[in-house]
Amino acid sequence: MLTYARNIRDTVMTTLKGMQITLRNLRRPETTVQYPEEQCEIKPGYRGFHTLDQEICILCFQCAKICPVDCIEMAATRVEKKFLSWEQFTVDYNKCLFCDLCVEVCPVDCIHMDRKTGPSQYAVITDDRTTLNIDLLIYRGLSETGVKAVDKLRADKAAAAAKPAPAPAAPPSAPAAPRTTEGA
Amino acid sequence: MTMTLASAGSIESAVAASAAGSGFWLTTLLGLVLLLGFVALWPMFAIWLERKVAADFQSRMGPMYCGGFHGWLQSLADGIKLAMKEDLIPRDSDRFLFWIAPAVAFFGVFAAFIALPIAEGWQIADVDLGLLFILAISSIGTLGIVMAGWSSNNKWSLYGAMREAAQLVSYEIPLSIALLSPLLVVGSLRLGDIVAFQSAADGKSLIYWSGNGWFALYSPWTLLAGVIYYISSLAECKRAPFDLPEAESELVAGFHTEYSGLRFSFFFLEEYAMMFIVSAIGVLVFLGGWQPLPWISIDFAALGFLGKLVCVGVVLFKAVFLVWVQIWLRWTLPRLRIDQVMVTGYKYLTPLSFLALVMTSLCVHCGDRVIPTLF
Repeated sequence: MLTYARNIRDTVMTTLKGMQITLRNLRRPETTVQYPEEQCEIKPGYRGFHTLDQEICILCFQCAKICPVDCIEMAATRVEKKFLSWEQFTVDYNKCLFCDLCVEVCPVDCIHMDRKTGPSQYAVITDDRTTLNIDLLIYRGLSETGVKAVDKLRADKAAAAAKPAPAPAAPPSAPAAPRTTEGA
Repeated sequence: MTMTLASAGSIESAVAASAAGSGFWLTTLLGLVLLLGFVALWPMFAIWLERKVAADFQSRMGPMYCGGFHGWLQSLADGIKLAMKEDLIPRDSDRFLFWIAPAVAFFGVFAAFIALPIAEGWQIADVDLGLLFILAISSIGTLGIVMAGWSSNNKWSLYGAMREAAQLVSYEIPLSIALLSPLLVVGSLRLGDIVAFQSAADGKSLIYWSGNGWFALYSPWTLLAGVIYYISSLAECKRAPFDLPEAESELVAGFHTEYSGLRFSFFFLEEYAMMFIVSAIGVLVFLGGWQPLPWISIDFAALGFLGKLVCVGVVLFKAVFLVWVQIWLRWTLPRLRIDQVMVTGYKYLTPLSFLALVMTSLCVHCGDRVIPTLF
């Protein structure tokens, strides 16, 4: 008889306790992120697809050298010894390990693994499904400020050369041969 | 107050009304058309509600896309999808029973709506034995389920159907006995009378104090009866935690495992319509029907057509609330095994319902409410 009453009490109390727990959960906000209208917040240190800040990169090739699977290819031309005229910066995501070494080694902190747009952090589909070389460049050639600066530099040099001066006019510097990763 | 046993009264009145004019048939036809519309649309709404409420309890969103605002057209899309599926009939199945089983199951619930009043005098058939009629007719659904399990020519289906039938039949007992307690106090099976009792008072003004109150609050014995009624109604609807027949069909098999497309949707319609019926009965008998508040009653007869609409709104709101509690329980409690289902039904709910009945009858006999003073 006592077991009977105890069973009833246990049933009722545990049911009510369970209902209280689910009711508490009712008031919690939903955790759903409605992709693709919304995207999950990317925390710092997350290792996703790369983004490159072209303006800062100094073409030191450290990222390409340290990559354990040699998946970074970059090519640019130095103009006026300081500015870079970009041609290529691709990462082969068939090979990339997402190991974060290229980010760690970069001396100017220009490459990161926090891409939020384009090839998303979740999926990469290319038209040609055999290749996953993704070009991280936003623009080719010189940047806008670079163009202005180079023009200004050359104009200054031309002005300096045009001035009657005892020093012989320096020949206009020609673009050097492009430096690439081959043989680096 | 005497119990009227003959339902001939309503048939006579129907015949007299039809002899008097076509008003009776017109209103009946109108009621049936509205009922058909409601029974077609309610499962759509109920399925959407279930998915959204389940999602809310699980910290996620339910359907959000279909139809724009929180996926309100999702059930329609699912219904269209079900209708377009291939109609499979197992090779060695009993074709006639296979064909008729969903219809019988659905009929059992659909016909029960006829005696359900949603406002004073607003029902399709004013049956003097309203409550008894509804209980009896909704038991026909059990027959359809057994037919479905047998005709599928599938051991798992038959097994599920047998368990289903055992559960449904077993829980009819505490369901009916629990409903007897308020019945004893009112003295009439007519649902309109039961609601009127809960708002009864001498002298009617527009808003008045009714000493009776809702049956859930009338006396602890009717409250016990109400709780037993609600639990038994969960078992009648095959809802959690008594959803072993359904769960088998999610996991392995069940009585409707061989049903696909539109035939399957009939069983689904039957389940959600049954949820509404038992919730509506619970509202009318235990939660005061169309009175918004427990003791403060409103004389709706004086408010005319608009008052009747308010009654409908109140009943629907309370019924949907009870359905929401059913959904809440489904996503809280784990499933009971069939032996646990049987133990709960026979060993716990039935004796408790008898206790409520005996105490209520003693109280009515002594004119008390809580403790019968026999001495």
